[in-house]
Amino acid sequence: MGPGKGCTGMAASTNPPAQPASGPPGAAGPPAAAAAVQALARAARSFVLYDAGNSVIRQLLEAWREKSRAALDQLGELALDVRPFELALRGEVVYQDLDREKSLAFKLFRDGVRRITLLPTVTWEELLQVLQIVALRYTAIRQQEEDSVTLLRKADLPGVRLVAVEGFAPAEERPEPEADVAGRKDEGVKPPEGWDTPLPRLPAPGQLAWQAVPGAALEALRAEESEEALAPTALALAGDLLAEAARGSWPRPNRDLVQFFAELRDAFLAEGRLAALRRLVDVIGEAGAPEVREELLSGLGDARTLDLILDGLPEEAVDLPPDLLAFVPLLGLSATLDRLAGEQGERRRGLLLKLVLARLPREAEAVLRRLPDLEPGLARALANGLVTRAPERALEVARLLLQQRSEALRLEGLESLARAPGEVPLGPVSGLLADPSEGIRIKAAEVLGRRGDEAAIEPIVRALEEKDRSLREAEVLGRALAEIAPIAAGRRFAEWLRPKSRFLVGPSAQQRRLQWAAVAGMAAVPGADAERQVQEVAQAGDEELRKHCLACLARRRKGAGRG
Amino acid sequence: MDELQLAQRALSRTLGKARAGEDRELAQRVRENGEALAQMLAGLLKMTRVHAADNRAFDAPIAEFCRALTALAELVGVVHLVAVEDQAYVNEMRLRSEGRPGLKDLGAELRRHNVGGISFQAELDSPQVRALVAGFGSPPAEPYPRGALRSRLALDGVRSVELHGVFRFRTTEDLEGGRADPAAALRRALRLSAEAWDGLAAGRVFNPLPLRRAVAEIVEVGPLSPALWDAWVTGMPRRDHALSVALHALLLGQAAGLPKGVLQDLGVAALVHDVGYAALGAGAGSAGPEGLARHPGEGARVLLRQRGFSDAKVRRLRAVLDHHRSQAEPRGRPSGVGSILRLAEDYSSFVRVYGQRVAAGDVLAAMSRAAGAYYHPALTQLLVNSLGRFPPGTLLELADGRRARSTSPVRSPERFAAPLARFVDPATGEASGPILDLAAGPAVKRALPG
Repeated sequence: MGPGKGCTGMAASTNPPAQPASGPPGAAGPPAAAAAVQALARAARSFVLYDAGNSVIRQLLEAWREKSRAALDQLGELALDVRPFELALRGEVVYQDLDREKSLAFKLFRDGVRRITLLPTVTWEELLQVLQIVALRYTAIRQQEEDSVTLLRKADLPGVRLVAVEGFAPAEERPEPEADVAGRKDEGVKPPEGWDTPLPRLPAPGQLAWQAVPGAALEALRAEESEEALAPTALALAGDLLAEAARGSWPRPNRDLVQFFAELRDAFLAEGRLAALRRLVDVIGEAGAPEVREELLSGLGDARTLDLILDGLPEEAVDLPPDLLAFVPLLGLSATLDRLAGEQGERRRGLLLKLVLARLPREAEAVLRRLPDLEPGLARALANGLVTRAPERALEVARLLLQQRSEALRLEGLESLARAPGEVPLGPVSGLLADPSEGIRIKAAEVLGRRGDEAAIEPIVRALEEKDRSLREAEVLGRALAEIAPIAAGRRFAEWLRPKSRFLVGPSAQQRRLQWAAVAGMAAVPGADAERQVQEVAQAGDEELRKHCLACLARRRKGAGRG
Repeated sequence: MDELQLAQRALSRTLGKARAGEDRELAQRVRENGEALAQMLAGLLKMTRVHAADNRAFDAPIAEFCRALTALAELVGVVHLVAVEDQAYVNEMRLRSEGRPGLKDLGAELRRHNVGGISFQAELDSPQVRALVAGFGSPPAEPYPRGALRSRLALDGVRSVELHGVFRFRTTEDLEGGRADPAAALRRALRLSAEAWDGLAAGRVFNPLPLRRAVAEIVEVGPLSPALWDAWVTGMPRRDHALSVALHALLLGQAAGLPKGVLQDLGVAALVHDVGYAALGAGAGSAGPEGLARHPGEGARVLLRQRGFSDAKVRRLRAVLDHHRSQAEPRGRPSGVGSILRLAEDYSSFVRVYGQRVAAGDVLAAMSRAAGAYYHPALTQLLVNSLGRFPPGTLLELADGRRARSTSPVRSPERFAAPLARFVDPATGEASGPILDLAAGPAVKRALPG
C-alpha cells in the first residue's frame, strides 16, 4: 500500500471554496487587515508565555476583537491567502514572519490551509474559536490528534471559510502503466480465522419499513456525546479500563494506563471539575486489584496534581478545605515532600505540611526516609507529627535524627526519644554526653534522667569529670543522676557536696563542678535528709553556691507542689 | 463577568485540557528523522553526478540514511516520502524545507525518473541504499522511466521500495463543486486503516491524525451522499470490515444528527475498532468466543499507548470497548458512539459472514427485531430508515429479469425500497454501467444473497 493516485493528502474545505480573494479596493484595506492579522498572531502566540487569565491576554483578546471587526467593517470580508511565511490580501502581503516558531502563516500553511476567509457575518464566538485553534497550534499540543484543518472543520463555523490542501493529485505529463510492485506489502496483519464470531442469535426477520424516529428519542444519545457529558463518559471509561485491566490480565506495571489516568486528572483539573476528580479517586479506590490501585495512585501522585490542586485553593486559605481531603490519596507523598522542602511561602508551606501530616501514620516510612534531607524546622515539625500520629515510630524518628549533623535535628531526635513510649535505647543517648555541643549534651542528660537506667550512671559521672563542662551542664547531669538512681547517687552526692579543698586555695574546678552537680542532684533526691544536706551546703558555701542551693531547693519545692 | 473574561475562561479551559498529558515527542521525532531522511536522499542523488555509486564518499551519508530510515520505520512502520512541487512530506507530515535547499530539490531529482514519491515498506541495508542511489543516478530509461527504475531496483534486490508517480497539490478549489473525490477519500481511509492496523500490531503508537483527515474528507463528501456509497459499491472491497463499519457508522451518526466533530471521532474509532485482534495475534484464544470477548479490551489497551488527552480519544476508547456491548448488558449499556458502532459492526459482520446466503435487507430486518435487547431502539430504526429495504451493495433481481446492485442509501421515505443501482456485470458479479434510479423503474422483483 502507499499513496496511490490521489489517495494521499490532507483536507478539503468545510464550506464551499472561497472565490479568488477579491473585493472593493481601498487604501484602508491592507492596513486594517494587517492590524487584524497581527492581532490574531500576537494573541495566539501569547498563550505560550502567559496564562489565559493574565491581563496581557485580555488586552490581546480585545485587540483581536476590535481590529478584526474594524477590518471586516472596511473590507466586507477578510480573505487571506496563506503562503509559507506570508498572509496576503488580494495579492498584497499583510503579514510576514520568517521565524517558523512565531509565524502564523507557517503554522497554517504547514497544516494545509491555503486560504481562510472571515465573512462579514462572523461572530465574536467564531473569532474566538479561530483564535483558540491557532493558539493550540502555537502551543504545539494535540499534534497527534488534530491539526488546524481538522479543528476548523470540526468547529464548523458558518462565518469562516476555509480552503485547504485536499491531497496530492497525480500530475504526470507522461502517465506510466502501474505494475505489480515487487515487495509490495499485500499481506498485512490479518484478523484470525473466525474473528468477531459467534455472531449474536437474531430473531427471524420482520418487516422492514420506514418509520419516523422522534427527535426526543435521540436527544439523550446526542447529549451523551456533547462536551458537557465528557466527564461522566471519561469516568465510565476509566472504570471499564480498570475492569479490563483486571479481567484481561494486562501487563503490569502499565505505564499507559497510569498515563491515561494522569491525563484524565489533568483535564478535570484544567476544567475545574473537582467533583469529577473526586469520582476518579473513587473509581481507582473501587478497582478490584489492589496492586493496580496502588500503581495508579502512586503514578498519579506527581507534583503536577499537587500544584494544580494547590493553585485551585483560595489565595487566603491556611487550612485544607474538607473537600480537598478526598483527594489526599491522589497527592503523592514524595511530590508533596519535594514541594514542601523547596517551598518558601509561609501559607503554602503550612498547607503542604498539613497534607503530609494527613498521610500519617500510613506513610510514616516515606516521611522517615526524607527527614534527614529536610531543613531542621521542617524536620522538627514532621518529627513532631510523626511521634504524635505514629508514636510507635518515635524511636525510629529519634534514631534517624540523632545520626544527623545538624544540632537542631539531633535535639529534635532527643526530644522524640523523650516522648517515645516503651523502652528507649540509651546507648546512643549516652554517647551524646560527649558531643561537642553543650546543648546536645544537656538535652541528652535530660533524656537520660527521664528515661535512663543504672547503665547511664557511669557515662554521666565520666561526663562530670570532663574538664570543659559548665556548671549549667553539671547541674543537669547531677539531676539526671538523682532521677536515675537516687540512692546510689545520694552516696556520691554526699561525697561531692563537701570537697576536701586545699588550704587557702579552695576547691578545684572539678570539685566545684561535682559539688554543683551534687547540689542539684541532692535537691532532687526524695527525703528530708537530702534537703537538709543542701541547706547545710548553702549556709557554708560562698554567695554563688548559696544561690544555687536555694534555686535547687526552690525547684524541689515547686516539683513537690506539683505533686 | 464580561465578554472578554468569559473568553479568557473558555480559552484557559480548552488549552489546559488539551495540554493534559500531551505528547510532543513522537511528532517531533518523526519530523526530525523524516527531514534527515529526505535531506540525505537529496544529497545522495546529487552526489551521483560527481561520484560513481561505489565510491567510498557515499559510505557516511548512506549509513546516516539507513539510521534515519530505521528510526522512522520503528516509529511509523511503512515510510512514505513524497515530494510535491518544492515541498516534501513524510507520512503526510510536511518537512521543513526552509533553509534546506536539498529538500526543495528532492522533487526535481525524483522527477527525472517520473517519480513523485517513494514508499519504504521495510528498512534497507547499506548495499540496498547504494543500489537505490545508483538507480536514481542512472539516466532515465524511456519511454517509462519509473517502470524501468522499478525493474532495475527489483533486480538489484531492492524489493521493499515502492515508487509512485508525480503529484501536484490539489486544493478544494480544484474540485468541482468544492466536493472531495469520494473514491479517493475511501481509498485513503482503506489504506490508512490497514497501515494503522499493521502499526498497532507491531507495537507502534497509534497516530490518529492521518485517519482523522481521511474521515473528515468522507464527512465532507457526506455520509448520506449517494456518490460516496456508489464509490464504495463499485470501487471498494466491500468485505473490508473496517471501512464497511466506518461507512455505516458515519451514515448512522449523520442520521442521528451528531455534529461533525463527533462524526470524525466515530469514523476514526470505526476504522480501528477491531485492532484488539491484531494485538492478540494468531495464538490460542485469539479467535472464537474467547477472542470475541477479549479483543475490545485488547484494542483499548493498544490504543492507550497514544499520549495526550482529548474528547476524541475518550470517545474512541469507549467505542472500541463498547462495540460488542448490548443495550441490556448487566454492566451497563454502551456509550452513544458505542451504540452506533455496535449496530454498524453487527450489520457488517452479518453481511460478511452470511452475505452469500442471506440478503442484506433480511439481515437488517432481523437486527431490527433485536432492538432493545442488543441494539439502541431509535438508532436501529434510524439504520433501517437510512439503508432501506435494499441496502447499498444488495444484489437485486429486477422485474425485467436483469440483475443490478443497489448503490445508494435511502434518499427519502418514499424511496425506501427504490435506491439508485447499477446493472451487474454477469461475468464478475460487480456493479457497472450507468446509474439507475429504481424509483423510475424497473421494479425490484426480489433481493438476492451475494
